[in-house]
Amino acid sequence: MATTQRQIDLLTGNEAVSAAVKQIRPDVIAVYPITPSTHIAEMLAQAVDAGELDSEFVKVESEHSAMATCIGAVAAGGRAFTATASQGLLYMAENIFWAGYGRLPMVAAVVNRALAPGWSIWVDHQDTMAMRDAGWGQFYVKNNQEAYDTVIQAYKIAEDHNVYFPFMVALDGFVLSHTASPVEFLTQEEVEEFVPPFNPLFRLHPSEPMSFGAISKPDEYIAMREDLMKSMERAKKVIQDVNIEFAKKFGRDWGGLIEVVGPEDAEIGIVTMSTLAEEAEVAAEQLTKEGMSTSVTRIRSFRPFPGEELAKQISKYDIAIVIDRAISFGNAGQIYIETNSALRDYDVDTKLIGTVMGIGGQDIAYGDIIERVKNLTKKA
Amino acid sequence: MVKLKELIEIEATYVGNMKGNLACAGCGLNLALRHALAALDQHALLVVPACCTSVIQGFGEGYGINAPVFNSAFAASPAVASGFARVYKKKDPSVQVVVWAGDGGTADIGLATLSGAAERDEDIIYVMYNNEAYQNTGDQKSGATPPGAVTTTSSGEKRPSKSVSRLMITHGVKYVATANTAYPLDLYDKMKRAYEEFRGHFRFIEIYAPCPAGWNVDPRYTAKVGKLAVETGYWPLYEAVDGKITLSRQGRRFLDPEKRKSLEDWLALQGRFKKIKPEFLEALRQDIDHSWEFVKKHMAE
Repeated sequence: MATTQRQIDLLTGNEAVSAAVKQIRPDVIAVYPITPSTHIAEMLAQAVDAGELDSEFVKVESEHSAMATCIGAVAAGGRAFTATASQGLLYMAENIFWAGYGRLPMVAAVVNRALAPGWSIWVDHQDTMAMRDAGWGQFYVKNNQEAYDTVIQAYKIAEDHNVYFPFMVALDGFVLSHTASPVEFLTQEEVEEFVPPFNPLFRLHPSEPMSFGAISKPDEYIAMREDLMKSMERAKKVIQDVNIEFAKKFGRDWGGLIEVVGPEDAEIGIVTMSTLAEEAEVAAEQLTKEGMSTSVTRIRSFRPFPGEELAKQISKYDIAIVIDRAISFGNAGQIYIETNSALRDYDVDTKLIGTVMGIGGQDIAYGDIIERVKNLTKKA
Repeated sequence: MVKLKELIEIEATYVGNMKGNLACAGCGLNLALRHALAALDQHALLVVPACCTSVIQGFGEGYGINAPVFNSAFAASPAVASGFARVYKKKDPSVQVVVWAGDGGTADIGLATLSGAAERDEDIIYVMYNNEAYQNTGDQKSGATPPGAVTTTSSGEKRPSKSVSRLMITHGVKYVATANTAYPLDLYDKMKRAYEEFRGHFRFIEIYAPCPAGWNVDPRYTAKVGKLAVETGYWPLYEAVDGKITLSRQGRRFLDPEKRKSLEDWLALQGRFKKIKPEFLEALRQDIDHSWEFVKKHMAE
């Protein structure tokens, strides 16, 4: 592999996503503009206009229709892509569930942004967390390179016949979407070899009349939902396998379901996602230097939820701090709730403390995380 | 125009909506579906939002429509159809994507989606079968409910109904037509023309589809009520190509108010208008006048 000459560019997160999508060459791209994901739509539309990309770009009149257009495209046996954020994802919600429960594999880039009111264009995870039960896979990435790599991986995973449901690739608004960092490209040949052409399990066509989504009796309905649950379980292995294959071929290992960074024998664990995790890596290094041995357990796949892998990792800690960037009002942060439940499932008695940081775009630096970890461990 | 004998033969060889589907007795939409699918020569792929057609297709194996059907979210059909059309444009251009939607899904909840697909000139035939209320959920008022009609959510209102056909003409849609289940030959011809002559463009056909259950009409009068809708001048039959209206042969003479039949006699057949108040009747007349004024204004020279 060392002989392959790969291009490296300085790219924002939005540019990294659109670069990956251009190489994936979807049949249909349907996007409605919304900050901070708009650049993705612009760059893809321009690529289609310039003849660099042979996709149908559908300039829809709403996010609801963006997802609906992707739904129709996949049900016709095509590959589809959309990008959105915040209110746009919520406006899409009805069709997000339609695509998930309807088993229509596709990829949506969601640039995480807080929900109104008060208007905030900055990052938190309330938007994608609201969609966690929609039957979609959810990847949360920590940097622009991972955004690029994960869009490519997500198509391969979603279209796998053992998985066959759609995936969101979530990247933090502005922190990633508008901030440039070096991104190494795969060659077009590498992408096409890694992600084979979409081979649909079913499509609607007049040659074989059948109905999609007709009235279903409870036993049929339950069978479909059980199948989705089983597919989510199977997806865990596919995600790990794809990550390993990707790492072997292209030299980058994002951990598959979870990524652990820091000393093997760390006593303190910071459990979080996205850019907070990359910031927490710096915090952990500092804390370890100060004598508080700390590592970061980053959840990369929130759906399917890696309960077993998390429990196993957290069992090694004396104490784990879960940092959420969203809240289930009336309860707690979603990562904390779900991690807590996983510890109980696997009989892990590590002390788990939940905390919320960085909602509404509040800037979180490693110093803030160090301070929070110190305060919380002191109290415990 | 297709001959009656020919249409009977066509529909004997290909039945679009099969026996035993779940339509009510005397269902107008079921007739519309039969003739429309016959005209599309087994190339149709239907996208259906929540409406009576979601129910009458039935469920499980051997369901009641002999064409592929994608059941979509209520407001989503024109966009879902856009996705289908964009893929099949390249992969199999023989497929004709058809949105088959009721008046609530078209005039109300799906209007923005319809407008978007029309503006993009998607390669879709959009059929709005108009039974003038939310009949699937049991006759609630929609934007297309005429003045004076009693529904389960209104005891008759003065406001004119929303004409989506007129809206589509002013949207610049290539081909717009009105049809009526009581005029199957005319309906068949319009579907055929939309399919064969204006392929590649957005086409909109609004079909008047009486609903005996919702309108409180004797099921044996579905055709009679439909026919009188044209003969009273309530439902002008026309085609508009590039915004220029041509009246259809079968309804042309009702341009002249003198030739129209009694509105009251027609209303008397329908329980929903049984106790219509004089001011609502006046509103209905004004609505009819308004629609003919529009037709005259946009008629081809």
